[in-house]
Formats: sequence, C-alpha cells, structure tokens
Amino acid sequence: MKKVQFQSPWLPYLLLLPQLGIVTVFFLWPAAQAIQSSFYLEDPFGFGSTYVGLDNFKDMITSTDYGRVARFTAVFTFFVTVLSLGIALLLAVKADKVLRGASAYKTLLMWVYAVAPPVAGLIGVLLFDQHVGPIVDLFAMFGWKMQIGVNYFDTSFAMIVTAVWKQIPVNFIFFLSGLQGISKSVQEAASIDCRSGFRRFWTVTFPLLAPTGFFLLIINITYAFFDTFGIVDVIVKNEPGNNPVTLVYKVYLDGFRGNDLGGSSAQSVILMAMVFILTIIQFRLIERRVHYT
Amino acid sequence: MKKLQISDHIILLLGVFFMVTPVVLAFLTSTHDAITIYKEGIQFTPGGEFLENYETVLFEAGGFTKEVNGFVMLKNSMILGLGFAVGKIVISMLAAYAIVYFRFPMATLCFWVIFSTLLLPLEVRILPSYEIVQSLGMVNTYSGLIVPLIASATGTFFFRQFFMSVPDELLEAARIDGAGPWKFFKDILVPLSQTMIAAIFIIMFVYGWNQYLWPTLITTDESMFTLVRGIKQILQVWVGAQIPDFNEAMALAILAIVPPVLIVVIFQSWFVKGLVESDK
Amino acid sequence: MAYRKTVASLVAAAALLGTSSASFAATDISWWHAMGGKLGEVVVDISNGYNESQDACKITPVFKGTYEETLTSGIAAFRAGEQPNILQVFDAGAATIIGAKGAVIPVEDLLKDNGLDFNIEDYIAGVRYFYADSDGKMIGMPFNSSAPILYINEDAMKKAGVEAPKTYEEFEAIAPKLKEAGYVPLVQSHLPWEFVENFKSRHNLQFATNNNGYDGAEGTELVFGEPIKNHFKAAKKWLDEGLFGYYGTGWGDNQTPFNEGKVALWIGSSGSFGGIADTVDFPFSATFLPYWEAVEGANKASFIGGAALFAMSGKPAEENKCVASFFEYLTSPEVQYMWHKETGYVPITEAAYELAKKDGHYERTPAAEVGIKQLSLDGGEWTKGYRMGFYVQIRDVMNRELGKVFSGETSVDDAFATIKADGDKLLERFAKTTGN
Repeated sequence: MKKVQFQSPWLPYLLLLPQLGIVTVFFLWPAAQAIQSSFYLEDPFGFGSTYVGLDNFKDMITSTDYGRVARFTAVFTFFVTVLSLGIALLLAVKADKVLRGASAYKTLLMWVYAVAPPVAGLIGVLLFDQHVGPIVDLFAMFGWKMQIGVNYFDTSFAMIVTAVWKQIPVNFIFFLSGLQGISKSVQEAASIDCRSGFRRFWTVTFPLLAPTGFFLLIINITYAFFDTFGIVDVIVKNEPGNNPVTLVYKVYLDGFRGNDLGGSSAQSVILMAMVFILTIIQFRLIERRVHYT
Repeated sequence: MKKLQISDHIILLLGVFFMVTPVVLAFLTSTHDAITIYKEGIQFTPGGEFLENYETVLFEAGGFTKEVNGFVMLKNSMILGLGFAVGKIVISMLAAYAIVYFRFPMATLCFWVIFSTLLLPLEVRILPSYEIVQSLGMVNTYSGLIVPLIASATGTFFFRQFFMSVPDELLEAARIDGAGPWKFFKDILVPLSQTMIAAIFIIMFVYGWNQYLWPTLITTDESMFTLVRGIKQILQVWVGAQIPDFNEAMALAILAIVPPVLIVVIFQSWFVKGLVESDK
Repeated sequence: MAYRKTVASLVAAAALLGTSSASFAATDISWWHAMGGKLGEVVVDISNGYNESQDACKITPVFKGTYEETLTSGIAAFRAGEQPNILQVFDAGAATIIGAKGAVIPVEDLLKDNGLDFNIEDYIAGVRYFYADSDGKMIGMPFNSSAPILYINEDAMKKAGVEAPKTYEEFEAIAPKLKEAGYVPLVQSHLPWEFVENFKSRHNLQFATNNNGYDGAEGTELVFGEPIKNHFKAAKKWLDEGLFGYYGTGWGDNQTPFNEGKVALWIGSSGSFGGIADTVDFPFSATFLPYWEAVEGANKASFIGGAALFAMSGKPAEENKCVASFFEYLTSPEVQYMWHKETGYVPITEAAYELAKKDGHYERTPAAEVGIKQLSLDGGEWTKGYRMGFYVQIRDVMNRELGKVFSGETSVDDAFATIKADGDKLLERFAKTTGN
C-alpha cells in the first residue's frame, strides 16, 4: 500500500460501488447458487427439487463418462501446453537472434492472437473435414486415414492442433519480451564463456526465462481448460457423440443441452476447486516474480 | 554465423507458414462460389466471387437465418468489444484508485471480494449467471451481454499494480498544491496512465470481440448476434441437412477476424505491452 | 425465390389491409420455435396467414436456435415468469416438459375450455399418443412430425441391377452388388432415432419398463434385447466389409456422401425430402425404413420424430383463447397441407392427408407420401412412443457408445450394457427432480 493516502468517509466506497455491485450480482450470487444447487436434483421448470446431499458428486465421479472426459482434459491440456510452449519458445529464440526481418516475423507470428477460438475451430473443421479436408488428403498420402468425428484419436488430434495454433502467439510474445529483457551484457558475457549456442541457451538463457515459463504454464493450463470452449464446440459440431470433450464443455452439455441443473452445478463446483488451486499457485509465482525483478 | 542465420530463417518461415496458411486458405475459399467449395473443399487459388460473397454476407438480409446480415453482426461485435473495453477500464480504474489511494475500513475485505473473481472464470458459473441475467430481464440486451463479462477483476488487478508503481512523491506534491482526490485522479493519474489505458484497451477489445459462449447463451434474438456468435448459426446449418454455404461461412469468419487483427497489428507495441504487463 | 417474393407481396398487401381494418388492439401471443432456414420461412408464412385470417389475435414467431436451445430458453423464461405462449419442444424433451406438472396447459383442455372441437381420432394414428399422457390425453400439439425413411439412389440400383430392399435381409443380399458397382451400400444419419428408437417401434419391441416410461418416471429402466444387439452386430459386420458407412454423429456428415452420389441407400428423415430434391443430380426415390423379417411381428409403424407445440401455463385467459384459435388454424387441412408440401413433414390430421391425396400431391411426388404411410402402418403395443427424462443425455450416451462400436473401441454387448447402466442412472436421477 501507499505510504500517503487520501481519507474520505464516503468517496472510496463510491469509487468501488460499480465494481462491487457487478461482482456481487454477477459473480458472488451465481457462484453461491452453483454451490447450492449442486446439492439438489431440481426439476428444470422449478416445480420440485429433492435434496440429495453429495449424490450429484457421487454420480458424477462414478460415471464412466466423467472419468473419460477428465482424462481427455488432462491429456489435451498437457499436449496443448507443451506443444504451444515448445514451438513458441523455439520461434522466439530464433526471432530474437535474426537481424533481418525481425519485426516482420514478429508481426506475422503474433497476429493470430486476435482470431476468436470458434473461428479457429471453424477453419480447423474445414481443413480436417473427412470428405473434403486438405489435411486429411495430405495424411492419406502417408497412409493415415483420418476420420474426424468418428475416430476418437483423430478428433483429439485435430482439436489439439487447432488449440496449439491459436495459443502459440501469446507464448511467443511473452518469451520474446522475456528474451529481450535479458540484458545485452549478460548475453555478451555468455557468448564469451561458452561458444556453443546450444549450450549457451541451456545454461544462461533458459534459466533466465524460467520464471516467464512457469507463469506461462499456468496461463496455458487455464487456456486449455476454459478458453478452448469455442474450438471444442465447433469441432464436435454441438454433438458430443463419441468425441473427446473437455470438462468445461461437459458442464455446458449437461446444463444447457440436458437441463440437468444439479449435475451440471456439481461439475462447476469441482472446476471451481481446480481453478482455486491453480490461482493460488499463480499468486505465489507472481509474488516470487515481483521479488526477483 | 552466416549458416546459422539461414537455418534460423527456415525455422521462422516454417512457423510463419504454419500460422498464416490456415487463414489465407479461409480467405481464398471465401472468394469462390458455394458449389465449387461443396464439391472440391478448400480452395488454394483466388476465385472470382470476392465482391459478390462479401456483399451478400454484409448486406443481404440473412446469409443463414434470413433475418440478420453481416453488417448488423459487425455492429453488435463492435458494441460488445468497445462497451466491454470501455466499461471495464472505467470501472476497474475507479476501483483500483480507491484501493490504492484511500485508507478506509473494510479496504482489505473489498480487495479480497473483488479479487476472488479471478478465481472463477465465467465458464464455470455459467448456468446460474445465465439464470440471474434472465431473471433481471437482461437477455437479448447489450447490458446483459456486456456487464456480466466485466465482473472479472483482471482490469482492477492490472491498474492496482500500475498505481502502486507510481511514485509517492507525485501525490505529496499534488497535496501541497491543494489538489483533492478527484483533481489528482483526473489531472495526474489518468494522463499518466494513458499508455497503460491504450494497451489494456486493445487487449480487452479483442477479448470482448472474441467472446463466444456468453453471447451464444444471452443473445437468442438474431438482431443481437455478434459475428462470433454467428459462427454457431453456420454450424447449425452443417448439422442440419441443408447444403452449407461454405463461401458465406468463410466470408463471415474472415469478417470476424479482420477488425481485431488490424487493431493488434496496427497498435502492436501497445498491444504487446498490454499483454505482457496485464497478465501478471 | 419467386415463391418468396409472392409471399412477401401478399404479406405487404395484407399489412395494408390490416392497418385499415384493425380498429381495436389485437391480443399479442408469442411462439418460440427452433425452425431455422427454409423451415423458419414457412413458420413465418403460417403466422402471417393466421394474423390475416382474423383480427382478434396477433401471433409473433421467434426463432430460438436448436431444439436444445429453444427448450432451455423456454425453461429459463418460465422460471423468470416470462414464458412465451407457445413453446416448440422436440421429441427428446417431451418428458421434461410433460413431467413438469403445471408448466403447460394440455392442448385437449385448452381447445375444449375455449369452446373448440377436439377429437383425437381426427389425427393420424401415428401422432396421436406420442405427446399424450398415460391416460391418452393429448398434452402437446404435434407440429413438425417426421419419420425415418430409406432414400434410394436409382442410378445405383440400376447399375448394380438390384431392387431397393424392404428388409435388412434383402439388404444383406444386394449389398455386395452395390459395393461392386462402386457405391457405399448403406448410410444412416442419426443412430438413436433411426437405429434404436424406431428400430424398437418398427419391430414392436419394448423400449423401457413402466409402459415405455408413460406410467411414471420412477423405476423406469431401458430394455435392450437380442434383436437390437443383433442388428448392431450386423451393422458392425457390414461396416467392416465395406457395406455400411458411418461418418460420425453429425447429420450432415452422413447425408453429404449421399448427396454427392457416393451412397446407394441412405436413411434420412421424411423432412429431408425437399432439400434432397433441390441438390442431387441423380434420380432418387424413397421407401419405408427397413426391418428384420426374422423378428416376429415386425413391420409396424414408426414413432413420430420432430417436435410439438406446447401452450405454456400462467398466461391470461384471453391469450390462451388466442393460442387455442391458432391451434385450430394450424390444424386446418389447408394449413397442414401447405406445411406438408413446403417442408416434407407429414400432415397430422386425416383431413389434411385426404386433401393432399385429392390434390394429386403424391402422384407428382410419390416420395412425399412414404413418411405418412409408414406412420399409418399397423401399430402395436410398443409403437405409440416413449417417455423418458434427461433423454437428451440418454441420446448422447447412445451416440457415444454406438460410435465406439463402429470405431472398434468396444463390443456391441458391452456398449448396450453401458447404455443401460448410464441411461438407467439418468432416469433414476430424473425421477428425483420431480420430488418435493
């Protein structure tokens, strides 16, 4: 906090009023409702409800499908995070090194940030279409007959590629500004000490980028969990069937397609717990970052 | 050294190819007629229907549902993007100002209430949020579309960080000059935050423009559709048994891409600054 | 296009007339529906026609997205006390809305209370009881009713030198020839509807306990016997031998290859008729959904698919009167015939069917009659319908497990065991939602 501060009996509350009002009405209230309805089985029209205790949670955890969705979400998150971080790091290191055309590369590699996830999904759907998709034709030449929407693995593959494509720009921007933040004197000193570029990267650059990397890890996990909703929705074309879906998408499916308010709320509560843990980790990391910089 | 540079360029060019090609193909495809695309799939060369397709999508009532055109959706997207960005900046600046520059009872409580919103993305409390917006009669309104999205405290958090980095001496000097809280905010803090405001504006505009799940639920009236929401409509045509107007679908997708991309590219340095600073 | 223009000018003319004659304010009623695209245009035409036919009421149709989205919007609106007068609910949502006692006014009561005639015998046999309660009282007014039927690529038949099959046994006999002629012999487009629900109906097999669920939600369980498992075992074998194509859950993904002329036989909806006629460049015809000769008592009527209109409760009496008068208009032979002709959905009353016959509609387009004929086949104990809650998810479970069968991830027996386990769990949960 600041050492010097204003004092006023009413002004700070007035300033906070809009934010607090919105938070209360559109955040606290719905969050409380989600927790409450996770303990009930409720008629969608609101005519009746039965208190079922933890049954919604029990049903959810014991259902074969929830386990499958959770496993897919974990695998999906892992690949999206690792691949988009890896590719972005490679590109950022190269973009930081080249002299010619550096800014052109930078622009061309970052603009996809502004493409909406469902639009990315739409383009993905066309490229991977089982009847006319060029990527499917391409892989067919190597003997891989892809069937998006039929084969669970193929559909997962298309989803991961699309999600990675959409996420590379953010990681690229962070890594590049991280690299540019490493002072030139450190780099010069390093280049005298170890002549091999590869070794120099691992011993000097990589450790210095590590805080950015950790931070991006959280960002990417959050992305794979929540922001990929549009991509998933478009690729499965609103029909889950035997397709891979993420946990967030299942909340939507059960709540909005199926009108199972209790089951959907119970899933929300589980997700809240997961995000809570992620955020605590995030806060701790930021604290550390603030300390070191 | 020279040899290294060539391999670097190759890797970068591959990266650029991977990032750019899909959208270029989408654009090329959008310049053909529906039957060609239906039969042959994605197109690799420009076609002759560019003006026709985009004119149809923009101005002919209803590429997909016969009641709304691309221009209306463009306008709605614009309202969502701008409304969200402006609303969020104003509200979070005020809140952050109160938190950083005022000493008052329950300050810590307010701080934690606001920042608890960082814990739960809209997606996980989507069902009750929808019910509340519905019960307030805000479905199919711009405020119902925008205001609940503002509830997240990312902006407040960002401005708090920034205000904390402003030297204390400024406030002291202002007080000596006899400036009150409002004057200090208006004449010193806001001008000082200009770059930050611009940066966060770009991030928030893109974020708002690209919203999908919330508009999908909240806007069921076609005249309220945003471009990204319109994608859902394209999908329904695919799921249903009709012949998809691939050309119009692609044209609509390109329309949804262009404005935020332009903003990101034109105001690149602000955008990068906003992204790197705000997500901390 | 020309048709649309005519309609538009008619509407404009009517609007002019309307302004001069409407001296008092008409009662407004709202209708939320899920009919997009071409179907939505016809819905608007019907509404305009009704508004022109009388002065007392004015109906406004509102498109609310997919069936699922329409139901969800309707539910949310009902909870907020802002429900429309009429809500269109699809077959899979029937249990949800009918199970919520007090959400709707049964159409039978609505018509009778407002002094209008109602006789369930006026409706064609196939649609009478699907949206009725266990006592046979009609709750929802059937609106867009369709049947799964078999579309035939005539070129393929000619090339292979075979006749279109009536039974799956006949299909097995001709399938290799169709394959040899370069076609995918058979494709379906909606597994739960075409291969499970209507499989049950066509073969007169029990689908669920409690009288297919009509007698109450509590204790209702799915029933799967050998015939349906054998059917999927056969389908999987066909798939492996290249005699059957499966392209995922999406309807369009499965219809596309038929439209492109790569598929010989395609199971679609009687409502797909118009769309196919517009797009394919080969001669096609249609016939009944095939059945297995080996299953005793087969070749019965199919369930009606599609959706019904429900009159929501909690509305003023004068608005309900308007809803009743709109339903009367909607079921008039002329409107039903127009709807049937424009969309391919079946007419729901005998009178409308007679009118279509008299007008020579079926001589011009024989395929248009297949759906209604199939719905008018002999009924049996299990052909009047099914009533199960959370049915949207149950369909999702079927799509998932049966999709796994076709991708080789599971066996038919295991798939049905899982469908039954997960489905019964959902039914059990649904039964609790109506508790106190």
